[in-house]
Amino acid sequence: MRRVVLRRVAPAVAALALVTTSACGRRSSGRPSNDLLIVGYDREPDTLNRFSTHILEDIQTCVVEGLTTTDEQMRVIPLLATGVPTLQNGGVRLRSDGGMDVEWKLRPGVKWHDGVPFTSADVQFTVEAINGPDYNPESTDGFDRISSVETPDPLTAIVHYKEIYAPYDIQFIRGALPKHVLKGRDIDRAQDYNRNPLGTGPYHVVDWKAGEYILLERVPHYWRGDEFPKIRRLLFKFVPNTNTRINQLKTGEVHVVALAPWDKYREMTAIPSIVVAKTPGNAYEHVTLNERRVPAFADVRVRRALISALDRELYTRTILDGLAPVANGPIQPVSWAYTDRVAHYPFDAPKARALLDEAGWKAGADGIRVKDGARLAFTLITQAGYAIRESMAQAIERQWREVGVDVKVELHDGTAISSIWFEGRFDAMLHWWQMPSDPELTTFFAADRVPPAGRNINYFVDEGLTRLLYASDRTVDRAERKTLLERAQVIIADAVPEIPLYNVVRLDAVPVTLANFKGNPTNTGIFWNVHEWEIK
Amino acid sequence: MIRFVARRSLQALPLLFIVSALVFLLIHAAPGGPLAIYLSNPNVRPEDIERLRRALGLDRPLWLQYWNWLWAFVRGDWGYSFSDGRPVTARILERTPATIELVSLSLACALVLTIPVGIVAAMRKGRWFDRIATGLSMAGISLPGFWFGLLLQIVFAAGLGWLPSSGRSTPGADDAIDQLQHLLLPTVVLATVLASGWSRYLRGSMIDTLSMPFIASARARGLPMRRVVLRHALRNALGPLVAIVTVDAALLVSGAVVTESVFAWPGLGSLFTEALARRDYTVLMALLMLSASAVVLFNLIADALQALIDPRAAAA
Repeated sequence: MRRVVLRRVAPAVAALALVTTSACGRRSSGRPSNDLLIVGYDREPDTLNRFSTHILEDIQTCVVEGLTTTDEQMRVIPLLATGVPTLQNGGVRLRSDGGMDVEWKLRPGVKWHDGVPFTSADVQFTVEAINGPDYNPESTDGFDRISSVETPDPLTAIVHYKEIYAPYDIQFIRGALPKHVLKGRDIDRAQDYNRNPLGTGPYHVVDWKAGEYILLERVPHYWRGDEFPKIRRLLFKFVPNTNTRINQLKTGEVHVVALAPWDKYREMTAIPSIVVAKTPGNAYEHVTLNERRVPAFADVRVRRALISALDRELYTRTILDGLAPVANGPIQPVSWAYTDRVAHYPFDAPKARALLDEAGWKAGADGIRVKDGARLAFTLITQAGYAIRESMAQAIERQWREVGVDVKVELHDGTAISSIWFEGRFDAMLHWWQMPSDPELTTFFAADRVPPAGRNINYFVDEGLTRLLYASDRTVDRAERKTLLERAQVIIADAVPEIPLYNVVRLDAVPVTLANFKGNPTNTGIFWNVHEWEIK
Repeated sequence: MIRFVARRSLQALPLLFIVSALVFLLIHAAPGGPLAIYLSNPNVRPEDIERLRRALGLDRPLWLQYWNWLWAFVRGDWGYSFSDGRPVTARILERTPATIELVSLSLACALVLTIPVGIVAAMRKGRWFDRIATGLSMAGISLPGFWFGLLLQIVFAAGLGWLPSSGRSTPGADDAIDQLQHLLLPTVVLATVLASGWSRYLRGSMIDTLSMPFIASARARGLPMRRVVLRHALRNALGPLVAIVTVDAALLVSGAVVTESVFAWPGLGSLFTEALARRDYTVLMALLMLSASAVVLFNLIADALQALIDPRAAAA
């Protein structure tokens, strides 16, 4: 019998021995070098076409460049344009018919990777393709306000807007579609382009292995000069499981992890070869209060009571490990439109109780407040699978209960939660908005922008605020627009339509040896200046 | 035998049809749809959502969507992925080799473990080998796959540094040893889970068989124990094991969802997880129909094998 067992097991043992002995000793965990930098990426992109994708464009920014981009302080800076057009420099002209013209000057000498010059005809083609009936980009926002694009010479594109459009400066942040490749084609199905886009950037795609990785390699003659980019190859490995991604960072199988979760911060800082860069972000976590579903939320005293009952400083110190600061409104400090001169609500439970008393919500037999026979009770929904959100929801539940508010926490998967809020089927929701780099607030707070027309899911109605927000959208003069948006921030802070919790600080784990890493607070992502990254 | 296979295949058709309708209803009933993922981007406005809904045909009545899908599906047109716009067949085919590689190796390893462990545990029932085997297999059955996988990564990749933590190959390295090293940890996880369950079945049915009179009579006639166990007892005890192994082999088509996700294994299981998260209906339907067909097919194979092993089953 024993021999039988041995005979059957022996080949398996031999095979195992072969594999492990060849792996004897530590695997040479590849150090990051100027030859190869490996990025652990949480998902596989759907498409590399920047106008079609619905996930972050980290990989695309290395290949396809915009006329402008945003830098580490969220300033809009020129990339394929020679400058950012403004009213002051004459690049933006308001027309008497209420429209406006924006004149883009393109950088001379820039070529697509196939050697064809990049010209204003490509900019014009991009607008026509996006507005055309045959292509389905993710969003046509802004493009649908363009009536035409004029191309007086190959390096000048004059964009005619039907109306004033404040975020015109980031209209072409996603770059342009190459006319000579895509003209007359079904772009949705142009897999050659969508899987391997032709760009002007420092890298091009050399391999996309489904479910495994995308490999980029430097282009021979990048327009900034042959010395750029410094790193020869960038490898984006798809590792969806967060724990696995951090394990790979430890073994050196990946060198960069962008947007790492805060609860992994300490684990990552313990890795000697890694430094975790912290970038104040342009997103804020908050509790949305659905006034349409919970009538009690319509009373500003109740909303002020709810925010005063929460010790947000304590949450950031404990749950967030001191990594993110408390936020006081929807516009974040990184934005040029930010102001701190608004109402603040420090933790004050007695004040919260007094406000609820004043609003007529009296404590009932079980400690929960009651008014006209109705209990002050609602559910708080949030996304399942995020340890930080789950802890935060529990802390909120507990502190609200202490002032007599009954909250039940419900967890939903990410896709489900999007459709729940879009249909307004929730009482309160813990979540964040990643704000666009332009500080527009209209879609989030204007009275007529409740779903499906926008993202005012607080169902908050304030006519004065609404007028102010629309006026700010139709103002291209930055100083004037800033004044309007500051007034809007004051109104929002007074009215507390939602409860801001904290600013979402980005954590990006990068090699200690990586020079010129700058980070980025917006969806542009950390690779916006990848051409100057260098391992030293 | 041919008539048996033909009859069972015909019976499977209405079953698959019902499964397809149920699965279609279920995935459409799940909250959120292929467009939900766009909503978190503030630049995607309601008019964009409407435009995309029309472009993807999601504005049509559900029965019509089902009918269009079914009619195309039976003609071999599995449609395009809602997520990346590529043909569903291409997305499935490119993921298939990874799953077949992982699952077939795991099935083989699990069998190699199961047969000796099951036999010896049954013969030494209640003795130390049996107790240890029972303890280990209970642990193997109870271990959550994702946790066991992460544990192996921490020990063998992050700690000892012997093996890669995940993935199918080191990009650029094209040798077989590298691929085997990547296969090792996920195979250990999958094979452990499979072998733990299987060895219990084999042990159980071996114990039953060994207590039967024909075994005693074979021994009494002086046949050596080895021959009795391997020729007579094992053949009788294999029935339940063959059934369960064959049904588990449907993993070849459905992919090992949890193991593949933890090890970033680019197979059908991780494609399923991705498609589920994005509500990529066309990919989900194709994968689920493949799994359902595989379960039907492998059940058929199990019955056929049963008949080969035990002629009484064929007669019944």
